[in-house]
Amino acid sequence: MLRLSGLHTSYGPVKALKGIDIEVREGEIVCLIGSNGAGKSTALMTISGVLKPDRGEIEFEGQRIEGAAPDKIVGLGISQVPEGRRIFPRLSVLENLELGAFTNNAGYGKKLDHIFSLFPVLKERSKQPGGTLSGGEQQMLAIGRALMAAPKMLLLDEPSLGLAPIMVSKIFKTIKEINNEGGTVLLVEQNARAALRLANRAYVLESGTVKLHGTGEDLLHNEEVRKAYLGE
Amino acid sequence: MLLQQLINGLTVGCVYAVIALGYTMVYGILEFINFAHGEIYMLGAYFGIVFLSLFTASGFAASNFPLAFALTVLFTILFCSAYGFAIEKTAYKPLRNAPRLSPLISAIGISIFLQNYVMITQGATDKVFPQRFGDASFHFMGASVTGLQLIIILASGLMMLGLHLFIKKTRTGKAMRATAQDMTMASLVGINVDRIISTTFVIGAGLAAAAGVMVAAYYGLVNYSIGYVAGIKAFTAAVLGGIGNIPGAMLGGIVLGLMESLGSAYISAEYKDVYAFIILIVILLIKPAGLLGANVEEKV
Ligand SMILES: Nc1ncnc2c1ncn2[C@@H]1O[C@H](COP(=O)(O)OP(=O)(O)OP(=O)(O)O)[C@@H](O)[C@H]1O
Ligand SMILES: [Mg+2]
Repeated sequence: MLRLSGLHTSYGPVKALKGIDIEVREGEIVCLIGSNGAGKSTALMTISGVLKPDRGEIEFEGQRIEGAAPDKIVGLGISQVPEGRRIFPRLSVLENLELGAFTNNAGYGKKLDHIFSLFPVLKERSKQPGGTLSGGEQQMLAIGRALMAAPKMLLLDEPSLGLAPIMVSKIFKTIKEINNEGGTVLLVEQNARAALRLANRAYVLESGTVKLHGTGEDLLHNEEVRKAYLGE
Repeated sequence: MLLQQLINGLTVGCVYAVIALGYTMVYGILEFINFAHGEIYMLGAYFGIVFLSLFTASGFAASNFPLAFALTVLFTILFCSAYGFAIEKTAYKPLRNAPRLSPLISAIGISIFLQNYVMITQGATDKVFPQRFGDASFHFMGASVTGLQLIIILASGLMMLGLHLFIKKTRTGKAMRATAQDMTMASLVGINVDRIISTTFVIGAGLAAAAGVMVAAYYGLVNYSIGYVAGIKAFTAAVLGGIGNIPGAMLGGIVLGLMESLGSAYISAEYKDVYAFIILIVILLIKPAGLLGANVEEKV
């Protein structure tokens, strides 16, 4: 469904991605792990069109999308929940969700009900400015906002960051639910153990290159991964 | 006397407020002061004269002046909006990722260009607005309001209300607010940020244009350099209210107009242009972010 081949992206002189190949098939949860600065967020931002790659290809459903504008890519069905949530702080919770549906307003009421059933707290807070929500609530809102586009593929950048354990398991459960409903997910996580358990396949990124890849199960038992990312 | 000064101050203040909106909307999204904005107001005044002269020459203005004036305002808004659109595309957009000073310098360049362009094509001397509004005025409690003052106050109020509703309620308005708060995230929900920026410039220019025609009619004379002072005053109003804050620009403009009018009447008219800046300094000392400005940006 999504294929990155030989993708290079840089920030001026800083080469953040040095030719990565990643594939995500329809219906999968694919996980991207790697230490800080490995290039995970850069990869997601390049897929979303916020960053333009220097070289390489991105193919989504058979169509080349590298270098396309972010709003076009959202229109094709790829939505991102970026690192740090990036809620619009002075828009209400409801307005944040409304803007999630900016490119795809079809079935608005149904989608909204669905998100309120996933995260009932958002319904209670719907009139409140997004910036006044707690960190965990903001994460739910960020995910809800992305789901409002009814994307074919969801890119999630560290959704568990800074959350209490109970919230983390709730977010992971939600990701599984989204996947069960047919959503394809590309997940970036520091919480490697939980992510690898959830993922069908996973890639380990290290200083801008893919160091390892395999099924989530394989990587969970891989010696290097256990040492470097599972703290064993 | 006091009431009269309040009415006069409100009239001018409404004009400042309408122009200030253009500064504050652009700043809200791009964090950039569009120094050429005052020239759009000046162009508006000239286009107003040009169109109304055409209607006068054809006899249309004599038969139905209100309609002729309304059409003049409408055409002026359309033409100036086109200028606003073109200026953003040619002079600012290519510099979007350049150092912050570059678009500012580009704006000053556009401003100088427009002044000279109008001076050469329209002449360096004052131009007279073709038809003065009648002196018919309404008297109450010792004060009087001319018909034109009423038009200015009402039209400005309607424009501000319209803008407010547009930004609060419509899809594009919400996209504008989102873009102002986080441009990258706005693009990640699928908003075409370039289009939102163009829309912002077009609306700001349209408002300045309307202000230009109204002021040309109010004072009766225009000159290629009027954009400078009006621009500085409106910019002051925007800062006074809290730059980037739309209700702030409205409030700032009206406060400025009232203070100028009261200062001229009760202290000295010679210092009229100084009051604006005294108020600005005082308010910024007490409330650095402006009257309605947020003190700290809550970026999460
Ligand atoms: N705006 C930027 N300008 C310059 N360099 C950047 C910029 N953003 C990221 N980088 C660099 O690019 C590299 C990859 O960064 P990226 O944000 O993709 O890492 P990451 O894998 O998401 O890390 P983390 O787990 O800490 O979020 C890093 O070395 C980083 O310093
Ligand atoms: Mg990251």
